[in-house]
Formats: sequence, C-alpha cells, structure tokens
Amino acid sequence: MINFSLLDWIWLILYLLLMTGCGIIFYRLGKRSEADFFLAGRGLPWWIPGMSVYATHTATDTPMWVSGVIYKYGLRGLWYTFFSAWCAISAFVSARIFRRSLAYSQAEWQSLRYSGLGAELLRGWMSGWGSFLNMFILGWVGMAMGKLCNYLFGWENWVGLVIPSLIVAVYVLSAGYWGVVMADFQQGIIALFVIIFSSLWGMGVAGGPQGIIDKLSKMGELWRINPFHFSGFFTGDFPVAWFLTMIFIAVLGGFGMGTSIDWYAEAQRIQSSRTVRDASYSIWWGTALTLTRNSFWAVAIIAFFVLNPYISDQSKYEMAWYRIAFEHLPAGFVGFLLAGIVAIHFSTISTHLNLGAVYMTRDLYHHYINPNASEKTLVFAGRISTLLLLIGSFIYGTMMEEITKWLIFALWIMGAGMWLPNILQVIWWRFNSWGYLSAWIANLGFSWLVVWVLPSFGIIPELPDYLQFWALMLLTALVYIPVTLLTKPEDMKHLAKYYAMTKPIGFWKPVEREAKRLGLI
Amino acid sequence: MRGKLRGLGLFKEGIMGFIKRDWKPEEADKWTKEDWIAILISPLAYATLMVGLALSLLLLKVGFITLGLGIFLTFILHWVIDPKLRAISEEYEKKQREYLERLEKIVKWRKDE
Repeated sequence: MINFSLLDWIWLILYLLLMTGCGIIFYRLGKRSEADFFLAGRGLPWWIPGMSVYATHTATDTPMWVSGVIYKYGLRGLWYTFFSAWCAISAFVSARIFRRSLAYSQAEWQSLRYSGLGAELLRGWMSGWGSFLNMFILGWVGMAMGKLCNYLFGWENWVGLVIPSLIVAVYVLSAGYWGVVMADFQQGIIALFVIIFSSLWGMGVAGGPQGIIDKLSKMGELWRINPFHFSGFFTGDFPVAWFLTMIFIAVLGGFGMGTSIDWYAEAQRIQSSRTVRDASYSIWWGTALTLTRNSFWAVAIIAFFVLNPYISDQSKYEMAWYRIAFEHLPAGFVGFLLAGIVAIHFSTISTHLNLGAVYMTRDLYHHYINPNASEKTLVFAGRISTLLLLIGSFIYGTMMEEITKWLIFALWIMGAGMWLPNILQVIWWRFNSWGYLSAWIANLGFSWLVVWVLPSFGIIPELPDYLQFWALMLLTALVYIPVTLLTKPEDMKHLAKYYAMTKPIGFWKPVEREAKRLGLI
Repeated sequence: MRGKLRGLGLFKEGIMGFIKRDWKPEEADKWTKEDWIAILISPLAYATLMVGLALSLLLLKVGFITLGLGIFLTFILHWVIDPKLRAISEEYEKKQREYLERLEKIVKWRKDE
C-alpha cells in the first residue's frame, strides 16, 4: 500500500477534472455526424492522431509486460517490444492504401476490396469479431487497473475495473472520437513526462548510469546491457532464429492490414487524419515515440534489477517499473505518477470503447439493420454501442479472468496463420474473399492441432513459438492458396474501382488494365 | 578548395538526380524507388533510435553513435518521402468527395442489391 499526501490527491483530482472537461468541450463537435463521432470528421493534423497512437499503446499492463521481458532478458528484451515496428513499412504502404479507401474500419475495407456474398460474410464476421475483441481488451486492461489499485490502495479488484472506466465513459459517450483523441493528446504528454521522469529517478536511485554498469559488472551480469547477446542460432533462451523470425514478422507485416492486433486501432487514427501524408506520419511518429519510450522503461528496469536481483517469481518482477517508481519517488510526486498511470489507462479504455462502437454502429447497425439512418440516429446508436461495450467489459473483466489468459494466447496463435493472408489481400489482386475466409477457418483448426492436440498425444514435440509461427503459416497456406485458385476471382469492375481509389502496391497488372479500359485512371 | 566544392556539387547533383523531389500528382500516384528507399530505411531508423537511446541513457559511446545514426536515418527518410507524400495528398484531396459518395452507397447495400 502507498501513502498519499494531500498534494498527491490534488494532482489526481486536477487531472480527472481536466479529462472529463474534454468531453464537455468537444460535445458539440462529436454529435454533428457519424464521421465526427468516429473519425473527428477526417480533419486532424498528424501530430494529434500520432500522440493518440502512442497513448493508446501505453496501457496499464504495458509496463508490467515490458518489465517482465527486460528483467528476464536484459536489453535483449527490447526486441520483444519491437513488434510495433510493423508501422515502419505500414506508414508508407498499407496506411496510404487504407487512407485512400476512406473505410471507417477494417471490416468496411473488406467490402471495398472484395465483392458479393464473400465480402458480406467477411464484413459481418470482422465486425462481430471486432466488437468482441474490443470488449475483451477493455475487460483485460480494466482488470490490470483493478490489480494495480489493489496493490496501491488495497481496494477490491472490481473497484479499479469499474470506477476509472466510468469516468472515461463520460467523455467518450459525449464527444465520441473527438473526446478520445483530444484527451489522448493530453494523456500522451503527461504519460511521457511521467515515464521519463520516473525512469531517470529510478536510475539515479540505483547509482546512475556508471553505478548500474559497475554493479552489473561485479555481479557478472554485464550481458544484460547488450541488446544482441544471443544464446545460439537455435538454442537457449534467446536464439538468433527467434530474433530473425520476429524481425521478419514485425517489419514485413507492414505491407498488410491486420498483421498486428494494433492495426485495428491504428486504422481509425489513419482515417481520422486530414490527408494521406498526415495518416503516414501519425502512425510513424506515434510508433517512434512508443519504441523510444520502451528505451526509458528498459534502463529503469535494469536499474531495478541492480537493486533487486534474481527475483524468480514472474508476478513480482513484472512490477519492476511500478515498484522503482512508487517506492522511490519523493512525497508529492507519487500522485503525479498515479495521474500519469491513470492517463495511460484512460487512453487505452477510451480508444477501445470508441473503436468497438465503430464496428457495432457502422458495420452492424448502419450496414445491416438501418442503412437509411439519419446522422442523429447514428450518433445515438454510437452512444448506445459505447454503453453496451462498457457494461460487457465489466462482466467480462470480473468473471472471465482465466479464459482471458487462453484468449490472449489464442489471439497470438490466430495471428500466425493469418499473417500472410493479411498481406496477400493487399498486394495480390487474385487473392479473393473465399481464400481469406478459408484462411481464418483453417488457421483456427491448425492452431489447436499444432499447439495443443498433437503435442499432448506425443505426435509432434512442443515447438518454440517462432517455429509454431512458421508451421502455422505453411499449413494454412496449403488450404487458402488452392481455395483461392479454385474459386472465381473477384468481380473485375469492382476491383478496378478499388484500384482507382486506393492505388495498391504489388501484383495488380490485370486490374490496372481494366481500370484504364473503363476510363477510371 | 574549388575542386572540393565542385565535388560537393557533383555529389549533390548525383543524389538530387537519383532522388526525385519535384512531383507532379499523376507521377506521385505510382509506386517508385523513393517508396522503396523509405521502406528500407524506416525499420532501420526505428531499431537504431530504440537501441541507441537505451544505450545512450547508460552513457555508452556506442549508444550515442547508434542514436546519432537513428536521427540521421529519420532525417533522410523524411527528406526522401515527404515531397512525394505532399503531392499524393494534394491530388487525393480533389477526389475524396467522389469516393466518399461511393462509400456511402456501399454502406446501403440492401438498397443496391
């Protein structure tokens, strides 16, 4: 438990007032139309969605996860966080293509890229999955806050889950995405300052840079500050094969859409940018900030290791950054630190509340239930969807913690087999909706087989995660490539319109010829 | 001195000639070598910024060199791609309204069926 002084409480209350004030300020803008409620009217300069990208991907559980990998692997653990580098290529490839499509969501993009029944099935599936996924993330991140509040104040877990989310709901319900990004902008700045200050303070406590290096040297642990300290090509806890696989997945994933779970939140930031250039820079700079933030965390966690070496209990060393910050900051700064943590929590919750509501409103309600709805009705539907997600996340967070663990794992595994189809749908004209649908289904089946069923019967050994990735990628391809080639290509006229609109990269020659023939380009 | 300046001029001319910085909208719409240069440099910039900053915070010389390289790569990346992105954006702004109308039609799929 942490003792709060009066100054600590003042910091926190001032911050909460600032955040909820955002909702009141941007209420009028948010209620103008569906495009305003979900995309801030597509008129934002790059630095606003860019800061939102950074703020959204700094959640309450992120320092725990980063602490876990850095404490265990030293600075090599930074490469675990390098997964977000998919934006390196995406900023200049898939973000450009997606922004030109003008689709509100990834589900809507499916109906622009594909046509007919297959496109509708995909849109329906992706919107349902998107709604669920956001509710799942809300429950999961909410529970992380519940645990943190339990550590800090001794409150029951549900209190930390429910109360902060209710405060966030005030500005998300009233101002929609306007409230989300404007609050994110402030939250991002506050969180960045708090992270830098607390991390440097923690380093100071451990003896400063030279003191940390000297202590590591005496302990024989100097390898911890070498980001390239490999344990072998295939062997040990940090093999080169894992590193190369990770770089391959992360970097080349930028050619596709949906190769990372973060794509879906980024897609909304891309569409809310006022131009293609703003869209590119928003995700490039947002991710650059995210990666350099990890550097501050990493050195602070190395400092924690020097002060508290060889903790074997993962649940304890995962609190490394929180502990070095909360246990060593002077009185009066602890409230400021908590305000920063509340900031990162709010930004994640607000993003997923609004993003989940996009799928429920735009892709389910507007597309299937009430296609002729007025803007007023759509904004109202957006608010109802937000409320439903909020209630769902409470139920989910309090009752399904164990299932959540399985789902996180399942999501990673599902991502492995879908990695290549997510790229192919962007770069190859012949890839069709049936190929994409079959990839989803095949991947689900193969994931269970490769990860659980076959190893448990001793038919194959338990594979390391990077080998699971390659196995699932190849096995799934054995299904969707034949399905794609044995079914009809998408309607050429539909593809030509998509081509003229988005100018995709890759293998699109026949479609380009058709677009020219139709006079579209 | 004059020879050095001429050399610098030739170098600049060579780079300027290789990297196109003056785009017409219809040219910018195509995928060109400038895009591929950005695609190559961008992940390297990320990696060097991340690793360089962490090692710099520990006041290691290799960290400052790596961070410096990251900043340089970031500058080059933007120098190469920014003129093209500006041209693409200007051109696309004009077409956006027409595409938005089409998008709204697709939303009302029942009506079009």
